Amino acid sequence: MKFINLLQKELKELINAQMILGLVAILAILYVTGMASKVAIDDAIEDSTNPKISISDLDNTDFTNSLIESLENAGAEVTEFEVSGDDYASILEENDIKNIIIIPEGFTATIENGQKPEIITASRMTSASTMSNLSTGSSGALAIINNIIANKIATDYGMSPEDFELMENPIILNENTVVADKSAHVSSESILNKIMMQNMLLPIIVFILIMMTSQSLISSISNEKLDKTLETLLSSPVKRSSIITAKMLAAAVVALINAGVYMLGFSGFIKNASGQGEDIITDMTGNILSADEAIKQLGLSLSGGDYVLVGIQLFLTVMICLSISIMLGALVNDTKSSQMVIMPIVMLAMIPYMISMLTDINTLPTALKILVYAIPFTHTFSGISNIMFGNMTTFYIGIIYQAVIFAICMFFALRLFNSDKILTISLNLGQKSKYNKNKKKTSVD
Amino acid sequence: MEKVLEVNGLTKQYTKVLAVNNVSFEIGKGEIFALIGPNGAGKTTTIRMISTLLKATSGDAVINGYSINKEPEKVRECITYLPDEAGAYKNMTGINYLKFMAGLFYTDPKQIIDCVNRAKNICGLGERLNDKIGSYSRGMIRKLLLSRAVMTRPKLAILDEPTSGLDVLNAIDIRKMIKKLAREEGMSFLLSSHNMLEIEFVSDRVGIIAKGHLMVTGTGEELKQRYNAENLEEVFERVVIDNEIH
Repeated sequence: MKFINLLQKELKELINAQMILGLVAILAILYVTGMASKVAIDDAIEDSTNPKISISDLDNTDFTNSLIESLENAGAEVTEFEVSGDDYASILEENDIKNIIIIPEGFTATIENGQKPEIITASRMTSASTMSNLSTGSSGALAIINNIIANKIATDYGMSPEDFELMENPIILNENTVVADKSAHVSSESILNKIMMQNMLLPIIVFILIMMTSQSLISSISNEKLDKTLETLLSSPVKRSSIITAKMLAAAVVALINAGVYMLGFSGFIKNASGQGEDIITDMTGNILSADEAIKQLGLSLSGGDYVLVGIQLFLTVMICLSISIMLGALVNDTKSSQMVIMPIVMLAMIPYMISMLTDINTLPTALKILVYAIPFTHTFSGISNIMFGNMTTFYIGIIYQAVIFAICMFFALRLFNSDKILTISLNLGQKSKYNKNKKKTSVD
Repeated sequence: MEKVLEVNGLTKQYTKVLAVNNVSFEIGKGEIFALIGPNGAGKTTTIRMISTLLKATSGDAVINGYSINKEPEKVRECITYLPDEAGAYKNMTGINYLKFMAGLFYTDPKQIIDCVNRAKNICGLGERLNDKIGSYSRGMIRKLLLSRAVMTRPKLAILDEPTSGLDVLNAIDIRKMIKKLAREEGMSFLLSSHNMLEIEFVSDRVGIIAKGHLMVTGTGEELKQRYNAENLEEVFERVVIDNEIH
């Protein structure tokens, strides 16, 4: 009953209007940015399937006319412009277009003389954003032009269309992807594209989970310490273990709510940002597989048991965060230090987070790998990847290591909470040096 | 007089500092005992040891028959502690704070309601109890906390600087409240304060502590006579600065 009273109080302190508004704002931001990305991607897809090409044919020969006709036959919506000079900014501005391909005078003659002809392109960049520049290129049109010219040169040299086709695609690529002892007749690139998004999502959620969990508990303990409500609680007839458990449980609940909302928001964002395209992979024999089938064929899909293991690992991660946060929260002696003490957890989470985003931790040099794996959170960031790719020994060692780290941290956290130190310990940032300075000054005086 | 608190040779040694050295005193039922001393004298450390927040290096204190070393859980059932400049949970309303604190002492809803009603009457905050504590003035928070400290009818209420930072009117209200509870309900109080006038007005007996030693104890009148002083401030000055012990 007393524990429920404490837990209710902790939950009410943490789940407030501010937190709910924050989560709603995050969902809204992720939804809006996802939609914005979707619009940019849809435009890019539309541009690649039905490209709108602005072209100025200054050569105006039969060959260049046939070139433009070929572009139209390939599905492009070609608009021709009359331009002069090399002030491309004015050309784009006056014609209100984003890009233009200019076929200069003497283009056909240059080809006929056996020389490389020049094609001029001008594209307007409006920002450094990748998304906003997705649809500004004329690369599709240029590829078609290149192909037509290559075909013409080959014909001029007496090459048959079949020989040209052979020269263009001299090999038949037979790609297979192997994961552990399983293989599928698909390219590894297509599999990677499909699992990349889900692999991006998990580290973000784990990172947020670690940050939110730690921040909640550190704030809770430091606020109680600074307001001296902790002294009131500790002098009341409640077990100290009840106080600490209520705080940890409430922080864990809040962290899980945060993680859930972020997961919802990010999965919506990624779904929008990656478009609603067909979720299929064509294998090398021409069979069309669903992405899930290909992933399953390679043993990369997670079973129910695997999800239980991931759940255990996330639970251990949260518990490690909570036990470390109790000790860090106890160090706080002013508002400044309450913001500083979370730094060790930020660093411990940031290092494996960044490394796991950039590379496979298992491929690092041995010494660096041991160092990175010594950080308990690393095992969480690499956990799903280890399960997917069959590195179960590494995964189980990780779980055992995290359990040991949790036991050690919890032992010290409980010891701290049951001792005087919870009230007397503090992070004396700069205070020692000030003390020494005063001591020195006094001795001089 | 029935003894509520017996302190025997209480000592607290931090790594480099001997904060409290062999302090002994007693408090009877319905008595108000005030510990006075300069900053860093060891008042708060003594109070924190008696409140079971800090473990004593040596010595003991027995409250209502329970030792702070051997039965700290039992001691916590008999005492309440109001820290110096303590705050409360700003997002809670005053009434919810009282309910929460009462819930730490009792599990029976009837007892909890009784406690809260008692605190409501004592603090005199009326309808403001339904507002969030974050909107309270310092004086209102102190009254709320003091009513919290006495609502469970503890054998011993330990109040560290109960009126620090308050204006004169709020301080007078609180002193009257303490005196009334001691006289009418027989509640015992252990106070600490810097304010000599307050001590003279409110306390039955005084202990002057300096550098961790409890130098002298006695009623205000006794100490004034013993030191042939006009007021307690003069006694304090002679004990603390001149180390004059009678």
